[in-house]
Amino acid sequence: MAMSRWTDNFGYGFIVTGTVLCSALIILIILVVGLYSLEAVSRIGIDLFTLEWNPGRNRFGIIPMLYGSVAVTSIAMLIAVPLGLLAAIFSAEMLPRRLRNPVKAFLELLAGIPSIIYGLLGIVLLGVWLADLFDLSSGRVILTGGLLLAIMVLPTLISLADDALRNVPDRYRESGKSLGLYPYQVIAKIVLPAARADLTGAILLALGRALGETMAVMLVIGGIDRIPQPFVNILSPGQTITSKLGRELAEAAFGSLHFSALITMGLILLVSVLLFTGISLHYFKPQQRLYE
Amino acid sequence: MNRIWFNRIFYLCCLAAIAASIFFLFFLIAVILWNGLQAVSLDFIFTPSSNFGSQGGVLYQILGSLLLIITTALIVCPIALGTALYQSEYIKKPALKKLCSILTYGLNGVPSIIFGLFGLIVFVNFLGMGISWFAGSIILAFMILPTVILATFQSMNSIPQIYRESAESLGLSKWQVNMKVVVPQGIHGMISGLFLGLARAIGETAPIMFIATAFSGATLPGSIFGPVSSLPTHILALSQQATNPQALTNAWGASLMLVVLVSIFSISALMTRIKYTSVTAR
Repeated sequence: MAMSRWTDNFGYGFIVTGTVLCSALIILIILVVGLYSLEAVSRIGIDLFTLEWNPGRNRFGIIPMLYGSVAVTSIAMLIAVPLGLLAAIFSAEMLPRRLRNPVKAFLELLAGIPSIIYGLLGIVLLGVWLADLFDLSSGRVILTGGLLLAIMVLPTLISLADDALRNVPDRYRESGKSLGLYPYQVIAKIVLPAARADLTGAILLALGRALGETMAVMLVIGGIDRIPQPFVNILSPGQTITSKLGRELAEAAFGSLHFSALITMGLILLVSVLLFTGISLHYFKPQQRLYE
Repeated sequence: MNRIWFNRIFYLCCLAAIAASIFFLFFLIAVILWNGLQAVSLDFIFTPSSNFGSQGGVLYQILGSLLLIITTALIVCPIALGTALYQSEYIKKPALKKLCSILTYGLNGVPSIIFGLFGLIVFVNFLGMGISWFAGSIILAFMILPTVILATFQSMNSIPQIYRESAESLGLSKWQVNMKVVVPQGIHGMISGLFLGLARAIGETAPIMFIATAFSGATLPGSIFGPVSSLPTHILALSQQATNPQALTNAWGASLMLVVLVSIFSISALMTRIKYTSVTAR
């Protein structure tokens, strides 16, 4: 009996420790990243938000990287969201039931293709095509990164949006039909508004993914720390936060100002992605009242 | 009449969208298969790479990737099982439950490059492990932890309450109920979650490229604190010399091997899920 109480306590202690450690992990990550960015924030301060990045001359302006991340993510979302939503409407509302699960499994398999392989495809095919199409000297431009990201988030987006639409009960659609609405009206006036919260959550989640994606973007973006002239010229090379980190983190001496400035960019990325995740969690909350 | 046309146009738009998506995605698979199959042979799999990877095969890269994720699995299993057990069996307060799930989903949302950055600061420099297999496995374990915890928690949480009550009425202690009822009935969730997590972990480059892997010439690590080589970082190195056709061929071959490994894990996850849902649905 004493033995069994001992194992009970030991086991209980183990799982409590595990839970506390897991919960603390995210906080630890934020703390560590925050701590190591302190040096850059205190020594560079407001000069972080300038246009020139040149570690040799102690210039650490991160605006070009922020611009690059926003530009690439916007291009990706502008393409992926309409395409993904329409595709999800087709797969949830119009596709015969027996085809649903195969389509779903196929999408999930695709969502698992490693990002480095998308990067390879981007270099070898997409970049070359775009260079030919727009007569560029190199296909490693902001547009290539955006297009590649759009293709990458598409399976995730379709899959989540499809779930969101299927969560709307059938009797909503039946009521609509019984009022004489056409299918497009049922979808536009009933199904989409009812699924709005889940759909927003899905889009925000995809946005977070796109913002934090590293390898594919790093290989095709070109790696120039400049805002293009004029700034809407997406056919010129750029740099995102993630590609900058991927390229330079290994070169920067640990503990130097350069290193700290890079970590500060990481902090900005982490906080914005967590913000999107947090908001999407809020949207994913089941809205019981609506479905009753 | 207008509405009929609207309806047709809307239907066509949706059809075009899904056709385009499916076309992109099929095209992707076709390109990987077409280029990969030209590079892959038994020789390619079983010879070590040479000349910075542009010649030879990917033997040590495959072994290195497998070593990394096997260690990851060994680290992640006990922690995820314990955490899921505690969350489903002991935490009763809704507020605490919610906090746990927010923290887990938050960890799930952290971009993979941030894990690399965290590992570089804490394990490689602060704890002085250097660029090592072990640091890489720990970081990959942190990364897939939320996936495994959530899957385990869901399967444990769906065990009917009457199972626990029957066991308690037979005189089992709380811990015995956990070990004899909850864990055996819920373990399939952990297995399918683990496969899903490993499918993601084996393909990730960003978390391990600063902290675990050496250039393409590395062989098997001498100890757990030695650097390994892995398939994703090998593809990265090769794609940076994409002007060399030989390197490019090898990059496609390595990509196909990686896709095959990822698919093995994803399909195992799917199979586990299918097999056990039919049992619990009875």
